[in-house]
Amino acid sequence: MESVTWLLFALGLSLILAKIGDSIIERYELPGVLGELLMGMILGNLVYFGIVGPQYLPIVSGEAFTTDMTVVANFLAKLGIIFLLFLGALDADLEQLKKTGLTATVSTVLGVFVPLILGWFALMEMGYPSREAFAGGVLLTATSIGLTVRVMMDLGVLKSEVGAASLSASVMDDFLGIALVIFAVGTGSLIELSVKIIAFFLITGVIWWFLVDYYIKFAERLHVEKGILGAVLGMTFLFAALAEGWFAAAIEGAFMMGLVLSKLPEGKRIMEDVKAIGYGLFIPFFFVHTGAMLNLTVFENANALILAAVLTVVAVFGKVIGRGIGAWITAWGRGRDFLFTKKNFQMSLQMGIGSVPRTEVALVDLMVAIHGGAISPEHAPEFIAATLIFITVSVLITPPLLKWAFREEIETTRAQKASAKVERIENTKKRIKELKGAQ
Amino acid sequence: MAVEVESALERFHSLKLTDIMPRFETMPVVTTDSDLLNVLKILRTRHHVWVVDSRENMKLVGVIRYMDVIDVLLPPEAYRFKLGMTSKTMRSMLGGATKAEDVAERHVLTVEEDATVLDALMKMRKYRIQVLAVVKDGKLVGEVSLRLLIDELLRLLRVGGTQWKA
Repeated sequence: MESVTWLLFALGLSLILAKIGDSIIERYELPGVLGELLMGMILGNLVYFGIVGPQYLPIVSGEAFTTDMTVVANFLAKLGIIFLLFLGALDADLEQLKKTGLTATVSTVLGVFVPLILGWFALMEMGYPSREAFAGGVLLTATSIGLTVRVMMDLGVLKSEVGAASLSASVMDDFLGIALVIFAVGTGSLIELSVKIIAFFLITGVIWWFLVDYYIKFAERLHVEKGILGAVLGMTFLFAALAEGWFAAAIEGAFMMGLVLSKLPEGKRIMEDVKAIGYGLFIPFFFVHTGAMLNLTVFENANALILAAVLTVVAVFGKVIGRGIGAWITAWGRGRDFLFTKKNFQMSLQMGIGSVPRTEVALVDLMVAIHGGAISPEHAPEFIAATLIFITVSVLITPPLLKWAFREEIETTRAQKASAKVERIENTKKRIKELKGAQ
Repeated sequence: MAVEVESALERFHSLKLTDIMPRFETMPVVTTDSDLLNVLKILRTRHHVWVVDSRENMKLVGVIRYMDVIDVLLPPEAYRFKLGMTSKTMRSMLGGATKAEDVAERHVLTVEEDATVLDALMKMRKYRIQVLAVVKDGKLVGEVSLRLLIDELLRLLRVGGTQWKA
């Protein structure tokens, strides 16, 4: 009985601190998730350093601390991942994807596979087993477009060719980042895994794409309070169960359900309800829980710092190079003459830098890889520390890098605004003179 | 009186939307490339604007509701970096939205032309929405709003007497 009390206490405290952390960090124009992770880290280390007994904060995982209550906390955090991915997919604009041009497509593919392969080989060189090294590479694949959108909006370049291509590319690389984690956690032969993947996408993507309309109509006919929401969440969990059973990656089911539902107006309408549950409860708890997994004593050993340094370098340069080269070789659809121009290099560099930030999907992939056994319990603390470090670095360096990359466009906009202001003043002066003359 | 209201409501529920829809020319409709400022002008007096691909085709592309103006007017820094919330961020004028298609919600709740008032009301209740597009083969042919339904019920009560009791 007492243990339930402390689980409720930990849940309540986590949610309040998560929202405070989110608010503080957002004031510095950084993703609030960093604040939630930080709060989790503080809570977790109160336990790791023996300041608070583990029974009072049962959100800390690890062999020494595992109890029935931490198992429940783990499950609640897992629900957070499911809600997060479901919402991410539900918010996706499939029309945007249809408009994706060659530049965005090629740069997405290279922007995903260059850091993946570089990360994979770098970690194998460091002595990590191949499966673990591959999982490490997968963590580096998905861009968090939220920060880039905000910074590009501030700079007034979101509607530029680079801004539009960055948006399309990031939607696609989220898909790839989420899909690739299956290969990290999936077990069995490659053929067996491939058959399962095809079957899964046939069931949840193709067949469900045609059936979802009827399912929503069926839910509408139930005429019960929040019947549609319940039916949708129910199917989401069934898909998640299928994906968990086949690939140890429940997120794939939630993601596919969100994606298919995003084509329906009914799906978009229930989004606010899902957001209320997700962002009001499970998602902040997931981030606090993830932060709490970072035991700061891991830094007593240099391995975590070396891994963090390697992942950070590959995360930043792998994306800039991969996505940048992908954009450059297409010459933005302007033909061969444009290939070696300064403008092509400049735009491609801007595209690459816009893809540097990573947040949610990297954390989701990390958790899936740890719980799915792709990252061993022995190395999990190092990977958690390294991931939190490369996420923080990527988020901190992106705004100044984007400002530098778009400096010419910013100058042009500033000059246009200044000239428009001068023109307005001149016109006003002229008008005053005319009015005085008329008097 | 209670019997009259009951009869009026019975008749009201079974009315076909086509019989009560406003004239098409009076509906707030813009095309995807319409200037956002024109949309805002319409929204000063209307609660929504339908967005169609062209005046000739009238294929329904989206809707811009009164409350969506909040997202349009907010500065970029008012938005949060959250997975699943990016689409709203894109609607800001300061973020570069200039046309109706930039801010339109593309997934519009619709009812078919042959639906009844009861069908429309049920859909409105389920999704907590005040206005539905009436479509035929994906083309916008009309609209049904709560205001219109109230007007229609009041009209029935006022002009109706015993004639609909049969």
